Amino acid sequence: MARSSTSTSKDAQDLFRALWSAYSATPTNLKIIDLYVLFAIFTALLQVVYMALVGTFPFNSFLSGVLSCVGTAVLAVCLRIQVNKENKEFKDLAPERAFADFVLCNLVLHLVIMNFLG
Amino acid sequence: MAKLIFVVLLTLIPILCTSFSPEKPSDRRILVLLDDFAVKSSHSLFFKSLQSRGFDLEFKLADDPKIALQRYGQYLYDALVLFCPTIERFGGSIDAAAVLDFVDSGHDLIVGADNNASDLIREIATECGVDFDEDSAAMVVDHSGYAVSSTEGDHTLIASDDFIKSDVILGSKKIEAPVLFQGIGHSLNPSNSLVLKVLSASPTAFSANPKSKLTSPPSLIGSSISLVSVIQARNNARILISGSLSMFSNRFFRSDVQKAGSPTKHDKSGNEQFFTELSKWVLHERGHLKAVNVQHHKVGETNEPSIYRINDDLEYSVEIYEWSGTTWEPYVADDVQIQFYMMSPYVLKTLSNDSKGRYFTSFKVPDVYGVFQFKIEYERLGYTSLSLSKQIPVRPFRHNEYERFIPAAYPYYGAAFSMMAGFFVFSAVHLYNK
Repeated sequence: MARSSTSTSKDAQDLFRALWSAYSATPTNLKIIDLYVLFAIFTALLQVVYMALVGTFPFNSFLSGVLSCVGTAVLAVCLRIQVNKENKEFKDLAPERAFADFVLCNLVLHLVIMNFLG
Repeated sequence: MAKLIFVVLLTLIPILCTSFSPEKPSDRRILVLLDDFAVKSSHSLFFKSLQSRGFDLEFKLADDPKIALQRYGQYLYDALVLFCPTIERFGGSIDAAAVLDFVDSGHDLIVGADNNASDLIREIATECGVDFDEDSAAMVVDHSGYAVSSTEGDHTLIASDDFIKSDVILGSKKIEAPVLFQGIGHSLNPSNSLVLKVLSASPTAFSANPKSKLTSPPSLIGSSISLVSVIQARNNARILISGSLSMFSNRFFRSDVQKAGSPTKHDKSGNEQFFTELSKWVLHERGHLKAVNVQHHKVGETNEPSIYRINDDLEYSVEIYEWSGTTWEPYVADDVQIQFYMMSPYVLKTLSNDSKGRYFTSFKVPDVYGVFQFKIEYERLGYTSLSLSKQIPVRPFRHNEYERFIPAAYPYYGAAFSMMAGFFVFSAVHLYNK
């Protein structure tokens, strides 16, 4: 039992190490996008915890705060899919075009958020 | 000459117009229908008490062919007294339907029936929710609650003191002496919720023919027998029905009374006080309410708004007066309630009063928008019913009336702005990394 448990944790370590070494090969610009997505998700989680502590009162503000984070994360993931060189689906789409779409969508998102923030 | 008569008539118009009006709700002109003009003198004390209170009595025989309740669609009288228990057909244009129409249009009625009351009087009573004993020879007999008397031995002369407990109907002064009654009993129609027993028979009474032997159980027994009943219709018309015409007579008014089994002998029966007070109620000298001057406004303002916003604080006031026979007196009660009503009452509050007739309260408009009503439904025993409703819409907050920059929301503001800042920083880094 103990043997198998140590071997399981060793397997997990091996797995994460393999995952990390594979991820290290990812181009830097995609890593930056991942960091940005993590930042957005973390902010969203912080707000949910805050809401659980102080109550739902300005519910529209809570919704707009969380949705701005979620929206940002979703848009960033979309950008990541489109600028990934290994993704053959978007090989005809210029990365500049993808970035322009991303900027436009963000403008619309933040316009809505500002209106709803109260 | 004709001109002179015309001018005299013209100056008389204000005097002739002293009839029932919402400002002066007491009746003024009363038509009294009699079987026989002898009743006019044998019941003169009752009529005198009415006349001394300012009523204008017109005596007619019930079969007089010239009697009419209305002329050119206008009622000539404000109240009708039927002291004609045996009449089978009224003279002139009056019939049972005409009498009931008279009541339906808000006028008052006093019916004095008797044993062997005619079908016509029974029909009028039945329409008012009072069913007289069907046996026309039946009288109310009470072998333990009779009035001690030297001449009568069949115990049909009853001394009753089982009054309705209502100061507004019978006056605030307690009627000490029992009331003498001799006549037919009636029962109240259970489906009629407006009819009230004012004087009921004792539990030992029953209704039967006193001259014949009792072969079957009497149909009316005990305190379910009503001797005198009143009805206040939904239009506030008031009706008094008595099973005995002799109750109103001078003989009964002046008679001494001693109830069987009771050691006290009263020099004077309670009849006079009973009918004086009861006729005051029936003829709207007491218990007639009016509500005026309904006001509502936001707290701190005086003008009545056309619309309220949810969660507004408002003040409501109304003035309620009772007619005393001559003037409107402030009505004081602590059970008047206001409803703020939309399909069901959202607010139900008891109004406070300042003992000068003004009722007021303040409350918060509920957090619901729609078309509401201020409602007062006031129905109390003996009083005319008050039913006020005033419609008022309630709107939600306007877009710019919501609270802004709430301290509790600053983390959310911060998150939204940090996402925007993050967007700029990310864009710069992303473009630099190309």
